Amino acid sequence: MKTHHEIRDPIHTFILVDSDERKVIDSPPVQRLRHIHQLALTSLVYPGATHKRFEHSLGVMDLATRIFDTVTREENIQHESVRSIVRTGDQLRYWRRVLRIAALCHDIGHLPFSHAAEDELLPEGWDHERITASLISSSPMKEIWNGLEQPLRADDILKLAVGPKKAGVDFSEWEAILAEIIVGDAFGADRIDYLLRDSHHAGVAYGGFDHHRLIGTLRILPQAGGSSEPALGIEEGGLHSAEALLLARYFMYTQVYFHPVRRIYDQHLKDFLREWTDGAGLPTDMESHLSLTDHEVYSAILDAARNPHQPGHEPARRIVERDHFKEVYRRTRSDIERNPEAAELIVEALTTEFGAESIRSDSYRGRGGATDFPVVMPNGRIISSIDQSDVLKTVPPVAVDYVFALPERREEITDWLTTHREKIIPPVGNEEASTWS
Amino acid sequence: MVMKRFERDAVVTALIDALHEQGSWCGETHVQKAMFFLQEMAGTNLHFDFILYKHGPFSFDLRDELTAMRADLLLEIEVRKPGYGPSLRPTRNARAMVKRYRETVDRERPRIEFVAQHVGDRDVADLERLGTALYVARRKKPDASLETQAKEINRLKPHVSLQEARDAIRTVRKWQEMVPA
Repeated sequence: MKTHHEIRDPIHTFILVDSDERKVIDSPPVQRLRHIHQLALTSLVYPGATHKRFEHSLGVMDLATRIFDTVTREENIQHESVRSIVRTGDQLRYWRRVLRIAALCHDIGHLPFSHAAEDELLPEGWDHERITASLISSSPMKEIWNGLEQPLRADDILKLAVGPKKAGVDFSEWEAILAEIIVGDAFGADRIDYLLRDSHHAGVAYGGFDHHRLIGTLRILPQAGGSSEPALGIEEGGLHSAEALLLARYFMYTQVYFHPVRRIYDQHLKDFLREWTDGAGLPTDMESHLSLTDHEVYSAILDAARNPHQPGHEPARRIVERDHFKEVYRRTRSDIERNPEAAELIVEALTTEFGAESIRSDSYRGRGGATDFPVVMPNGRIISSIDQSDVLKTVPPVAVDYVFALPERREEITDWLTTHREKIIPPVGNEEASTWS
Repeated sequence: MVMKRFERDAVVTALIDALHEQGSWCGETHVQKAMFFLQEMAGTNLHFDFILYKHGPFSFDLRDELTAMRADLLLEIEVRKPGYGPSLRPTRNARAMVKRYRETVDRERPRIEFVAQHVGDRDVADLERLGTALYVARRKKPDASLETQAKEINRLKPHVSLQEARDAIRTVRKWQEMVPA
């Protein structure tokens, strides 16, 4: 009987899985990901971006394994503080399997249309990571973990799948490194795969970078500047591919993920879901979660768009007929230099003048830390990436502020804003000059 | 009462400025640990959630906020010495925010100064030990003996020796008695 299986993939060519992993892939939570779009309604802007979280999850499993194999290889461990935390023998094999399964399952808690509805349509304290954790700890999944040739502990999978930010428990240094391999800010397999995959499907070349070189040069290293606590870093020879990754991330965020039309469709989707669920939001119990995918929601959107008496008709119609709110303002550097609260002041002024029903706004600030990670130089010295790379010093955090208006009032609102803009945004420290604040 | 975002940023700015005045390197790790001391020991609650992670207590919320402050041109990063990580430096706009929320900042000023005076001149390794000691003393083993707390630090951070852990607990206990009201 065949014990290893190959799955074709547009990004990684072949992804190999064994029969134990097939059991996890065939489980309902992972199969459900075949019906969750990776990028929500982005295909309304980039028509090719119709890929799903299922293939992304396979890709993360493949990449995480490659990173794990590189950084735990004996000749790649040069420091005693690192050697003391890296497992060996059966323990290493156990954690490799945990890592692969955690990577495969890291997205199983995603709601229909991924992130679009998460912030406002789940009960307080819930997010997709919490649903992922619940699923991993559920009885049906525990049966799978216990039935594997080498049984796995659900708590270990959970920790690596959701990472330290969301797991709510302490991480050992070894577990922190493994979680970083999957969900880390700088070199996480999740990020590497989604940048490559999203850019491929969206047809946006900016997302590409030499991930083979990057992974080949990743190392577990002590930090520059004092602590011997290990972190994921890189050999100096891979620094340019790391720069390319971080630039790709910047470009993909500004060009694709925060494209203004994509963002306003997310808002119409949220408006629809709120009305469709009669204000109750989306369910968090496992049975309801597993039975709700993009297909059920999109079917409801089409129904509601065709029938003015259905709940959510108006936002559904805007999505289906592409009659979205139009952009009337986006942040500029000069506005933020003048006053960091510029966008908030503009939203307040426009809402006062034209009514809340005519205005929508969207705001996002980049997350994650500065792109500071250890770099080992050819002479063995470890330094900060920011010190060695002018590119990393200057890549700005992503930040967007958009204000949108009803399509039929766009011109009127734009004209009014042009006339009043200077008055609405007083220089910081002189806020009393603003009529609307 | 929960502060508004920019009001909270004004307090973060005041803390970073106070750390600079005490000679701190003011990298992200320094700010993270100082903020933990400000919240956990001095009692200024900015609602940053801390867990034990990178170099001891670490807040993902604070990390995101520092990035957001850079995006809003309230903080800059600067490289001050070859080989070392970057420092965080408040901008002119950040100081304008401090003026705007002067009342809040003035209210927290004694606690900010207290924390800056005690941790401002410490390096990352020191801060890791002291921050972890405070975390253990407050959250993991609050009623335990010094020896039990030191063993817990050593278990959580194996590269911190038992003796270093004992010293860190003693230092933190001494500081706790000196916190301004």
